[in-house]
Amino acid sequence: MAQSNNSIKKILTVAFALCIVCSVIVSTAAVALRPMQLLNEELDRKTNVLRVAGLYERGIDVEAAFAEITSRVVDMRTGEYTDQFDPDTFDHFQAARDPATGRVLSGERDIAGLSRVENYATVYLVGDDPDNPEQLILPIRGQGLWGLMRGYLAIEGDGNTIVGITYYEHSETPGLGAEVNNPRWQAQWEGKQIFSDEESVTPAIRVARGAGTGEHQVDGLSGATLTANGVTNMLQFWLSPEGFGEYLAKFRAGIDQDEAQEADVEFEAEGA
Amino acid sequence: MADATPKSVLTAPLTKNNPIALQVLGICSALAVTTSMSVSLVMTLAVIFVCAFSNLFVSLIRHHIPSAIRIIVQMTIIASLVIVVDQVLKAFAYEMSKQLSVFVGLIITNCIIMGRAEGFAMQNSPKLSFIDGVGNGLGYGLVLMFVGFVRELFGSGSIFGFTVLHPVQDGGWYVPNGLLLLPPSAFFIIGLMIWIIREAHPEQVEENEFKMKHNTEPKEAV
Amino acid sequence: MMGIRQTLDNLEPHFHKGGKYEKMYPLYEAVDTIFYAPPSVAKTTAHVRDGIDLKRIMITVWACTFPAMFFGMWNAGWQSNMAIAEGYASMAGWREAIMMTLTAGHDPGSFWSNIVLGATYFLPIYLVTFVVGGFWEVLFAVKRGHEVNEGFFVSSVLYALILPVDIPLWQVALGITFGIVIGKDIFGGTGKNFLNPALTGRAFLYFAYPAQISGDAVWVAADGYTGATALSLAFQEGMAALTAEFSWWDAFLGFMPGSIGETSTLAILIGAAVLLWTKIASWRIMLGVFLGMVATSALFNLIGSDTNPMFAMPWYWHLVIGGFAFGMVFMATDPVSASMTNQGRLIFGALIGVMTVLIRVVNPAFPEGIMLAILFANLFAPLIDHFFVQANIKRRLQRTGVPAEETA
Repeated sequence: MAQSNNSIKKILTVAFALCIVCSVIVSTAAVALRPMQLLNEELDRKTNVLRVAGLYERGIDVEAAFAEITSRVVDMRTGEYTDQFDPDTFDHFQAARDPATGRVLSGERDIAGLSRVENYATVYLVGDDPDNPEQLILPIRGQGLWGLMRGYLAIEGDGNTIVGITYYEHSETPGLGAEVNNPRWQAQWEGKQIFSDEESVTPAIRVARGAGTGEHQVDGLSGATLTANGVTNMLQFWLSPEGFGEYLAKFRAGIDQDEAQEADVEFEAEGA
Repeated sequence: MADATPKSVLTAPLTKNNPIALQVLGICSALAVTTSMSVSLVMTLAVIFVCAFSNLFVSLIRHHIPSAIRIIVQMTIIASLVIVVDQVLKAFAYEMSKQLSVFVGLIITNCIIMGRAEGFAMQNSPKLSFIDGVGNGLGYGLVLMFVGFVRELFGSGSIFGFTVLHPVQDGGWYVPNGLLLLPPSAFFIIGLMIWIIREAHPEQVEENEFKMKHNTEPKEAV
Repeated sequence: MMGIRQTLDNLEPHFHKGGKYEKMYPLYEAVDTIFYAPPSVAKTTAHVRDGIDLKRIMITVWACTFPAMFFGMWNAGWQSNMAIAEGYASMAGWREAIMMTLTAGHDPGSFWSNIVLGATYFLPIYLVTFVVGGFWEVLFAVKRGHEVNEGFFVSSVLYALILPVDIPLWQVALGITFGIVIGKDIFGGTGKNFLNPALTGRAFLYFAYPAQISGDAVWVAADGYTGATALSLAFQEGMAALTAEFSWWDAFLGFMPGSIGETSTLAILIGAAVLLWTKIASWRIMLGVFLGMVATSALFNLIGSDTNPMFAMPWYWHLVIGGFAFGMVFMATDPVSASMTNQGRLIFGALIGVMTVLIRVVNPAFPEGIMLAILFANLFAPLIDHFFVQANIKRRLQRTGVPAEETA
């Protein structure tokens, strides 16, 4: 038997049969499960969005909660929405790499350490009326200490007040930089102001070294100055005219002085 | 292996012939996936599944595998099973598969599975081979769960994600040990575990390769 | 003196085979050899004719840490009293109670007030180190049937001196446990460890509790006091900010916050002088570390960098801030974990010097590098020795044409 097993014919037969059987099994599994996997990825993205908007709780129906969120693709150069891409499938990384939809960043302008950036971005609008949303959710990313950090920033409809920040992908040191995902640290962001005044286009928001003071600073992460700098840099980049500056300007211009005052007062009452 | 009984092939790999502790196989995934117990558990289940079924299939066709290409045949079977597991995890346990990332795929290179297919399933009946696969998967899982338990409990203060020791970052009293969240800590824990197992089973201790002569002779040999 | 001998001799039978305290023989032996030369005699290839045995060497090293230790206590108290004088609250608790009974209060101008405050921090740390580490040491000695190794005497004091003042005592205990058990005893005890046990314990704490101990923020025993260490100050804001905060002489004499024993380069150098004079520490290692550091920092000075201010730090600053001097004098020269060949010692030292500056300057995450550099070089020590031993064998073979007899 051993003899016949090692004949060329037998080897080829076994190899061929095995390949057929295995490839059928593998491809069946891959094809049959593909829709569910896509659904999962979709669900994961939506969960992250809901989380930063403060709408996520364990066990809620993500799809139902996401119903009041509209996703749109924004042209960051003009701040206008575009229908060129489908917001559900728009891929930021690919867009950044493609010369038609992305551009090279270098030197001084590349404060977030991205080297290439896309001109379009998917934003999420929370609220029933997409033209006058309660919250804007913007994708952000940038270099931390050890690698790229990706997350979302949620801003109120005034284009200036932060609701929350969350990172869904990072490789920072556990216990130090990884504390960016500590709920207690994230909670401080709520109510902070991005810009120091109406006209300013340079974001004033930053992570302080040590305890943060005032409405433009949050406390530093102890022992993780460089991760904190990474967070500051990516906010400085994405909220500047290089990033969502033009887009945010529309919302900042959209509300008149009185309303802004009111919103502030309301927030302070809440904070106290 | 003539005296192999279903019971002995199932229980021997747990402590007496543990694949990680005695044979020191499959360490790399043990370092990478043991930061939390739930991830360790999923990894354990995946390895048990792959190990048991690869053993089963290899054993089923063992009389037809040409010895010239037997390793390739085994690899193909293992790789197919691993891909299926990976796909299933992505479809039904997305969060888990994200945390396990490449390590599910790396089960292919886990020496335990290859070793059992080549060392056991090629010579034994499908039933015994299947049980052997489960046993070795369990032995691997035992170590994984132990390491995961220590790392999650002292590194994050929780077990299966439920807070047991309330960490200071959330206003509690426990200061989590950050070293345990880093992969090298699993080395220490596995090392200490091997030490404990060898205290219980002294026959596992290897012979000294050499013995240093004492330079001085104490007045009283103790 | 005869009284001691007699007492010991009277006690001895109890510790011998069949005696009441047979298991405790290592403890008896440890006490006996403090007073008298060990009763054991060389029986194999070793023929050392010297009154100095391991115990005497270790006691000398221990004594050499005294300048750094006492200055460290005073400085810890002084830093804390200064902060309290600036308006920070003192750390309440039993330390404060001792402080108040022994001194007139927190007064940075009073030598007594400073040293008592420093002692209330350092002595408990040292005590915990000694008791916990000693427990493991004796446990392993009893279980394995060898003597208590004197190396622990030095390891414990070195370990205590490289800790921050305000470290919780349970972390002290955990660190020394790791250092002694994992760093030394599982490999067979003194003489068989390949890592420096004191540094192993410190490294454990460094990675386990990075937020408190990574050397980013200063350690001053006053409630709520924060600030950057000299190294992170230089890394974040550049040399100008550093020199504005501390003068070089401050740093050299040690009037700056830091781990207890590391701040005063002068006090450490006094210890170094004794170690070199008694030929206990290898001058080659110290020289190697120093030259490696000077060369690497000079190279970085030459290259320069717009974004990383640490590139501009000159060697004489590297020498006096952080734990460089302490590591060079007391840690790198550990005879067990360092290289054994003379040329190897130079290379070993240079590797430490180079790595220290590399980590300090280039690595963004760790402000201090000497600890990791020494542990790293410890791993390479056997390899370095191997090359020099092989080279020697080859040379001798060429000269005589006869392979050398295998010797241990």
